Amino acid sequence: MSERRLRGQQRIGGATWATFIIAALFVWSMWAIGFSPERLGKLPAQMVEVLGFFWPADMAYGWDKVLPAIAESIQIAWIGTIIGAIFSLPLALLGARTLFPKFARVVKLISATTRAFPEILLAIYFVPIVGLGAFAGALAIGISSIGMLTKLGSEVVDSIDFGPVEAVEAAGGSRILALRYAVLPQVLPEIIAHWLFRFELNIRASAVLGVVGAGGVGGVLLNTLRYRHFDKAAAVLVLTILIVLAIDMVSGEIRRRIIRG
Amino acid sequence: MTEQRGRIRFSRAGVTYPNGTVGMKNLDLEIEPGEFIVIVGSSGAGKSTLLRAVNGLNPLTSGAVEIDGRAVPQREGRQLRELRKRIGMIFQDFRLVKRESVLTNVLIGRLAHVPGWRAMLKLWPQRDRDLAVKALERVGIPEKAWVRASSLSGGQQQRVGIARALAQEPAIILADEPVASLDPVTTHQIMRDLVRINRELGITTLVNLHFLDLARQYGRRIIGLRDGELVYDGSAKTVTDGDFREIYGRDFTEDDLLEEKE
Amino acid sequence: MFPERPARNWPLIIATAGFLAAMTWWSANGIGFSLIELLCNITGGGRLISESWPPDFSFLPRLADPFLETLNIAVIGTVIGGILSVPVAVLAARNLTLGRVVWFTDRNFMNVLRTLPDLFWAMLFATAVGFGPVAGALALSVFTIAVISKLWSESLESIDMGLPEAVRAVGGTWLQMLRFGAVPQAMQTYVSYALYAFELNVRASMVLGLVGAGGIGMILETQRANFEYERVALIVLVVLVAVLIIEEISEAIRSRLA
Repeated sequence: MSERRLRGQQRIGGATWATFIIAALFVWSMWAIGFSPERLGKLPAQMVEVLGFFWPADMAYGWDKVLPAIAESIQIAWIGTIIGAIFSLPLALLGARTLFPKFARVVKLISATTRAFPEILLAIYFVPIVGLGAFAGALAIGISSIGMLTKLGSEVVDSIDFGPVEAVEAAGGSRILALRYAVLPQVLPEIIAHWLFRFELNIRASAVLGVVGAGGVGGVLLNTLRYRHFDKAAAVLVLTILIVLAIDMVSGEIRRRIIRG
Repeated sequence: MTEQRGRIRFSRAGVTYPNGTVGMKNLDLEIEPGEFIVIVGSSGAGKSTLLRAVNGLNPLTSGAVEIDGRAVPQREGRQLRELRKRIGMIFQDFRLVKRESVLTNVLIGRLAHVPGWRAMLKLWPQRDRDLAVKALERVGIPEKAWVRASSLSGGQQQRVGIARALAQEPAIILADEPVASLDPVTTHQIMRDLVRINRELGITTLVNLHFLDLARQYGRRIIGLRDGELVYDGSAKTVTDGDFREIYGRDFTEDDLLEEKE
Repeated sequence: MFPERPARNWPLIIATAGFLAAMTWWSANGIGFSLIELLCNITGGGRLISESWPPDFSFLPRLADPFLETLNIAVIGTVIGGILSVPVAVLAARNLTLGRVVWFTDRNFMNVLRTLPDLFWAMLFATAVGFGPVAGALALSVFTIAVISKLWSESLESIDMGLPEAVRAVGGTWLQMLRFGAVPQAMQTYVSYALYAFELNVRASMVLGLVGAGGIGMILETQRANFEYERVALIVLVVLVAVLIIEEISEAIRSRLA
């Protein structure tokens, strides 16, 4: 009893300390970047004013220029996801600690490094290599997808029931056949759900790549804002929100069905 | 089925696990083709170690196991797979791929018999499909062929496990506590299945059992293990309560019997 | 009796395969995907890498201030967003919300927030409040709300409602029910999601500068525009190391909490 109370007290102490440190860091950060209270006070008025500029949206521009750019973002995300899915599947299987303890470490290192790069930094490197445009974006998205999907996939593989693997091997099947018959059927639904979720995230990631010239709708938004064409920027925002929402809904429903089925 | 034999010989075989536990000590044992053998002993006595030494799932640390005169390889690889091809194994927890159909689970028993690329693409030759179907008929559940394994009852799942072993056209079947997760009624059905298959097909069958009454009822030859050593080897007809006491190293209780428990 | 193999759902299989193929063909064409181009340009890649190597370490001191600014932005974004995400998450949790209308509105608000990527918010705030780190901090605040509230509202929905209902039964207000009944149960997941959001924010804050929202990304943008690839390489290296370190720390804290 008393030990428990003591530990409880320690936890509260830890939480108080943490809150204090976070508050101090926060105040210092606000001061360092010049985010003063009066600036915060002016913010609502500023926001309302700017929001006013955005109305009404120039939907004609939306149909002509924005929709093709969003389509390109979707294409980039799709190809990126496919690259990620194809390469991550074997890596995820090799990265499972329980099956291949020797490979798992190498695979983990590969996936950690590729994940650490924000997509946009990868795109900065791919643009000079393959030229301005969507292809560079797809490669960047693809590589960071490989990293993330490998990590998630290995976790799925590590969580399965390994009984059937031994059953296959006891019947004289090789490791590869054990992967095919005992591991893959167990993990595939979850892994496909991860692919779909990654596609949803990749659409957002590819949307910003236009900023560094790697195709998609981000470049359009940057330009409309730079030249203060707020009605056109509004069209970009409205269409992006609606299309991404629609894709999220469809993809989310498919994911739920795959996991259940 | 001309090549079917299934003679097993342990000579001075021993297993010491990496953590120092001794799983098998200086075992000498000879099993004739077609025998039905029940292995008893308290948990940790080395029953599983013995079964798993036969198909190389647990490598020996000393001595040797031979099957039909050929030594069981002690490393994973083509030779060991070649040997396992003809040794079916049945597990306590069934070890089915639950999301796959019953037929696919049974076909896992044919994996080592078909070319690798066919197995990878699930392009099963007709002969192997027929064998899988025949195995399902032998355990009495052909109508479940296309059902998902996860939707079967425990007893039915173990039947699929037996069918998977039978599909291998095995010379030997190893059953590691095949009834430990089943209720008494199903337990007797599964034991009868195993005995019938042994009699009809002449497959050497080794069954690990925990319950003494089951061992007495279904075994023909009983092998008793204690601390990894062979302490009893004789007919099930003549085994006495004293022998069991010797095997278990204690008086046995109703926990050791199936019937009294229910 | 051996049964016939049950018929497969061919229309669904064909439709799915057709959709996947069509989508891939459309996308590959649209972005000009070509392996040949990739292979032809691989030499360009080699040149780029040789230009980037070795990184210009003499540039390191000039990165210190922008690097700190980046961390400042991430801290502010996580704190403001973390606080604001509490009401957003609570009202979006079916078991705790204040009526269907509030729930429906809040849930849609949350989903709309989630559709826009971090850099879009940065561009918008840079337009509203001017270029600089304040825009970045505000952008990450909104982004953080989107990340935490969605995840946390799901954990709130899965809490045990016994205690909150007991608080209500003895006459507690809605706020007391939250404070003493609901939130304590989901506190650990909140901390872990906040740490996760901080990780994402550190990563995002590194590139905010590309659209003028402060931090190390602004230097990255100027150096890139001048083709100073040794310096770009150094910045990328710094970012990479920082992200990996923050991830390790946050992972360690989270595994301690669990």
